Amino acid sequence: MNNLSRATVAASFLLLLSLLLVWVADSGRPQPQPLVPRMTGEEEFCISCHTDLPEISPSHPVEIFGCVTCHGGERLALDAGLAHSSMRGGNNPSDLSVVEQSCGGSECHSGDPDDERDHIQRVMTSVQATYAGAIAQIRYTFGAQPDLIAHQGVFAVSDPQVTTLTGVHSLTAFDPSQEANPSVQTFGETCLSCHLSAEPLEGGAFERLTSCAACHTPDVDQFAEGSVHQLTTAIPYTQCNTCHNRGNYDLRSMTFVEREDNPTDRFHDYYQPIAQFTQCEWTLDCIDCHTRKEAMGDGDIHSNQSEIQYVQCRTCHGTLDELPLMHTIVSEDEIALKMAFLNPVVNLSVGDTILMTEQGEPLWNTRVMSDGSYELVGKATGQIFEFNPVMGTQCTQKVDEQESNYCHVCHAVDR
Amino acid sequence: MRPNFFHHLHPPTIPTQQSRWRYTLGAGGTAVFLLFVLAITGMLEMFYYIPTPEQAALSVQTITYHVPLGALIRNTHYWAAQLLLIVMAVHFVRVVMTGAYRPPRRFNYLLGLVLFVVVVLLNFTGYILRWDQGIQWALVVGTNLLKTIPAVGDTLYTMLIGGSQPGSATLIRFYAWHIFGLGLVAVFFTGWHIFRVRRDGGIAVPPPRLREDDARITRFELVQREVLAMILIIAALFILAGFVPAPIDAPIEQITTLANDASAPWFFLWVQQMLKWGDPFLWGIVAPSVLLLVLVLLPYVLPQPQESELGRWFPRSNRLARWSLVVVSALIIILTLMALLPGV
Repeated sequence: MNNLSRATVAASFLLLLSLLLVWVADSGRPQPQPLVPRMTGEEEFCISCHTDLPEISPSHPVEIFGCVTCHGGERLALDAGLAHSSMRGGNNPSDLSVVEQSCGGSECHSGDPDDERDHIQRVMTSVQATYAGAIAQIRYTFGAQPDLIAHQGVFAVSDPQVTTLTGVHSLTAFDPSQEANPSVQTFGETCLSCHLSAEPLEGGAFERLTSCAACHTPDVDQFAEGSVHQLTTAIPYTQCNTCHNRGNYDLRSMTFVEREDNPTDRFHDYYQPIAQFTQCEWTLDCIDCHTRKEAMGDGDIHSNQSEIQYVQCRTCHGTLDELPLMHTIVSEDEIALKMAFLNPVVNLSVGDTILMTEQGEPLWNTRVMSDGSYELVGKATGQIFEFNPVMGTQCTQKVDEQESNYCHVCHAVDR
Repeated sequence: MRPNFFHHLHPPTIPTQQSRWRYTLGAGGTAVFLLFVLAITGMLEMFYYIPTPEQAALSVQTITYHVPLGALIRNTHYWAAQLLLIVMAVHFVRVVMTGAYRPPRRFNYLLGLVLFVVVVLLNFTGYILRWDQGIQWALVVGTNLLKTIPAVGDTLYTMLIGGSQPGSATLIRFYAWHIFGLGLVAVFFTGWHIFRVRRDGGIAVPPPRLREDDARITRFELVQREVLAMILIIAALFILAGFVPAPIDAPIEQITTLANDASAPWFFLWVQQMLKWGDPFLWGIVAPSVLLLVLVLLPYVLPQPQESELGRWFPRSNRLARWSLVVVSALIIILTLMALLPGV
């Protein structure tokens, strides 16, 4: 064998070795796991890596929705870089900048208001998203606008169909750099941390996601890194408290002053020390009383939280003269049944009688009992509460003083 | 031993001097083999690639992630294409630096240059076929350059793009150009180029009367050397393909929206750098054409190398041509570095 032949044999071994190396490198790749969600009919391979991720919610089963419908991303790619490169909103497809593509569509969350499918339109115009109330208050206080009507929001938004007396047609984007008053500028720089698209302040008590997930993905601090995958309508008060009841703004220094007590139990944690509240207010969760409209908006742009918040003690308890409003479920299509399906803490069906708010929103987790008493099941806790109407009691409250603060005078708990 | 088909593709014997690796660098042969690899891997890709704007990038993903051996084949195609550019450049530098373009090989020098331009365009069209976000700059800016050509620019643009902006007509045209308009042309010119190598007396060495070394090797040894080279090239391609995957990106969403970090393919970075200086026609069309013209004219206007000096590097007689190439190469390399290192 001459030198050339020997070199050829050696080179052949080299070629075999290179093939072996390539094979070894290739075998480290994930085994492709196809999934063909019924909604798209298009094969996707996300679950090849994301095998252990829990289903996001019973109403979004992965066999029907798949992953890409909500998250975007490259459905065929098997390396993380490319697969994730076109994901909507990074880890949070509900980010308000992309929520229409991720969660919208007439069959999903940006449909007809009559079908109760207009979640996105309502949230985009709500005070929680626009922060219009706080901006209007501050601008008015420092002379940047003549009234308390909202003119600006954290983003520009308009509402072609105003349906309430207090609704405004549009907001322009609040731009602190265009403000003449230094306090308003400082407000813009330091105080815009509590609206839906704002990143929360530092610290575990503030920890939440943004946009829809700010509320509907509670307790993110209890998940391992990268495994937060949950949407729920059972939102505990602790989630509301990642923004609410955390402290107060000091208008002189224009800073946020965090509450200083270190509560260790629900009773002390629920509200700030200064607050007045009754037994049911801290034993229930916020969403047991406050409705979808109050939390997510009614579709109009409002100038203040007070324009949208309407549930009072009397909503459930009535007054001396009137019982609370009631509603008997007559159709399978009613929103109350849908709500009870999403968060099955109650077994609601056609024929059941529940309480209803003054604006006609069903309090689907309540039930009118045969003896005239009422029952409420905690949406986040599943705990059962029995309660009675005011009518027929010894309550001496005047008929024209029925707001909750009047109730607090007698019924506030001692802290 | 009876010579087989492959032996018969070669002359019975050639001067040993023509087969010295340190003289030829084996670059021409390597280029031919890489072209062969590209044809085979390209044909395999054609079974899966779908040339429509909606499906192109997705079919590339299918090839890359789901077709058995698809990633290896695509990555090999990619690396063979990149190496082909480099190997052809090396071959070109060798020809100039050894004065091998001297008549009678002057015409073959031109054929080689045509091949080089065709292969650059093949690389460009192949790159465009990905039709993902990584190629948008080249697609939009590169094709817009055509519009800047006076008088015929708009017509050329419409002919290439098939509309007022890139779309499905563009992709199918690039696909046809890549395979037929350029691929087959490259095969034809390669055949002609190789034919001319033999017609012109093989690789440039001094004529027999001026030769110092009369040793010859047989075609059996020549083929065996070629086989050795091919095995090594395949091994190198597999290693590159296995460990450095070809670029891939998410499908294009909006064809005219360019990302801030968008850039040209590496072999056009020097043009991209010049485009920053202003007039796109001047810097994007005229300047590269002038450089090409300089290379075309090298064997025609500059002093010819001596016949006796053939077969070795850096003959004194063609110093001017060598320096011209050094200047052109340095320009391209410096411009490329400037584009790669924008802060410098």
